[in-house]
This record gives sequence, structure tokens and C-alpha cells, in this order.
Amino acid sequence: MSDDDTVNVIKPPDTLSAKVSKGGPGAVDLAAIERAESVIASMADSYLDWVEEDLVKISKAQAELKANRDNAAALLDKVFQVAHDMKGQGGSFGYDLMTILGNDLCRFIEGKETVSDVDLEVIDLYIGTMQIVISKRMSGDGGAEGNKVLTGLAAVVAKITGKG
Amino acid sequence: MVDYNLERLNFLIVDDNKHMRALVTSILHALGAKNCIDAGDGADAFKELRHFPADIIICDWNMDPLDGLDFTRLVRTGNDSPNPFVPIIMLTGHTEMNRVVEARDAGVHEFLAKPISAKGLYSRIRSIIERPRPFVRAGMYFGPDRRRRDNPSYMGGERRKANLQADGGGADRELSQAEVEALFS
Repeated sequence: MSDDDTVNVIKPPDTLSAKVSKGGPGAVDLAAIERAESVIASMADSYLDWVEEDLVKISKAQAELKANRDNAAALLDKVFQVAHDMKGQGGSFGYDLMTILGNDLCRFIEGKETVSDVDLEVIDLYIGTMQIVISKRMSGDGGAEGNKVLTGLAAVVAKITGKG
Repeated sequence: MVDYNLERLNFLIVDDNKHMRALVTSILHALGAKNCIDAGDGADAFKELRHFPADIIICDWNMDPLDGLDFTRLVRTGNDSPNPFVPIIMLTGHTEMNRVVEARDAGVHEFLAKPISAKGLYSRIRSIIERPRPFVRAGMYFGPDRRRRDNPSYMGGERRKANLQADGGGADRELSQAEVEALFS
């Protein structure tokens, strides 16, 4: 609370309950949830097209970053935004590894205002790994191969950042 | 699970990514919703609200020129806001604790982490239907009462403060959906 300690409680009109009925035809039951989940699954093929576009976009942003390090903050943000989108979309369409990789890349970039050679190398590694996940259609957790890819990436990142 | 019929509800979906808009709309249609419109950023969404009486808004965070947080503040406190009370679900990949708290303090009702699932989205909609919340004007804040759970038998400490300090994690610690829900309750 700022300089005013007054707390006013307002009860807004409950317009929702008048518009929502319980049960009956058309109500959300387990079958409807399953239908909705299968709608998501049916969009997975289209996802593969969209994510290819995102992979091109993130690679372009990374190339710009390499070519113009003086403008690192803005260009890192560009890479971050695409990675963030990929994080949100991956798992939604059954590509959980893309969510993990997108998230890890965002965490790596977050807070950086400048980039070193090592930073660029790490970003390259993440983008390359995402490309492998998509080209090999490693959906879900990617199984043993997915695990190998993540473990391998973590080991290489630790080695080149000197944190291994 | 209580089966609600959503067909008379108006949903406004706000996301700068057309694929995510299509996905959320498809999920809502599969859940029986008939009236869904979408907008690509907060400014467009605010315009839509002038002629579309949304019952629930599902809103992304990262958008240009007006992001989800500024949009929420505009809906809650803008002089020309068509409906300051409209429930808002923030659907975002930002699940760090400081971000979740920021969204709550901007006045969102519910927070749903991407990746999205039909079950997750319906549970947030159900929560809005089942627990209409009073609004609070306190200092700079105007929005749904952040102390949603009214439990007279609760004997513990101040839950949100405890949550913020829990686990010794930093403000940028990633939260699970269960932890997010605890922060909103």
C-alpha cells in the first residue's frame, strides 16, 4: 500500500453464473477435455511448420547478434523473444524438449547486456540442439536419445563456460 | 469435476503469436465455447473490448506495443475501461516467481503457465466461475482480492509472504503450476 491505508472492497456483479449452466448437453465433461486435447495433438503437424519458421528466425537473430555486438542488448532480446515463444509452444504440441531447451536458453540470455565469444558459442549450441530435436522429430521427452542430447548439451555448455 | 456449459460465455484471446491464438481458440471451441474473438496485442484487445463484452480474457504477456501486464492495468484502472472487473487469465511462459507476483499485482485473476493443456485451461476457467472474487482498491492496487481463500480455520502465517520466502529460491526461481496457484490463493 502506498501513502493511503484505505482499503475499499467492491463486490462486482456476478455476471458469469447467470450465463453458465451446469451439466446437460454441451457441458464440459471428460470426453470434451479429451476432445480438446486431441485437437491440440492434431495441430502438432502444423506446429512442425511453424517451428521451422521460428528456427530460421532465431538463427537470423543470432547471425545479426554476431555481426553487431555493439547492439547486443537489443539483439539478445530478439533471440530471447523467439526462444520464449518456442518454450511456450513446444510442450503445448508435444515437443517437451523444445520447452526445456527454450527455457534454458532464455535463462542463459536473461540479464545479459553484452556477449562474449563463449556466450555466442553457447547460444549456437542451443539453437543447433533445437534443430536436431525438430529434424529428428523427437517428440515428448525424446526417450533415451532425448536424454542423451540434453546430457550432452549440458556437458558441453559446462565445459566451454568453465563451469564443468 | 463439475461440468459447466461455456457456450454463452464470450472469450477474448490476446496473443501476438497467431498459432497460439489459433490453439487457444480451438481448445475453447472443443470445450463448447461459441463466442471467441482474438487480438494480436493489448492495444487491439482494448479496442475489441469496446464492442465485445468479454466474460473472460485469456492474455499472453509478451506483446508489442502493449504487453499483457500493461493491458491488464489498463483494463483495471483506465478511465475509459469498458469493464474493469472482467476476469483475466494470464497465459505465459514466464513462470519465474517475480513475474508471477508482478502479474498478480497487476490484477490478473489466474495464471496459467505455457505449455498449455486443455485440462489446465479449463481448471482456470472453472476456478473463475466457482470463486467470484471481490475487488479491492488499496493504495495503487485495483483488482481482484489477492487473498482469495477465505478459510476461517486457517491458523498458519501469512501465506503469500511465506511463499515468497520459501525454499530460499531467488525471485527468478521458476515456479511449478502448483506453486503459482499457491501464490494466487
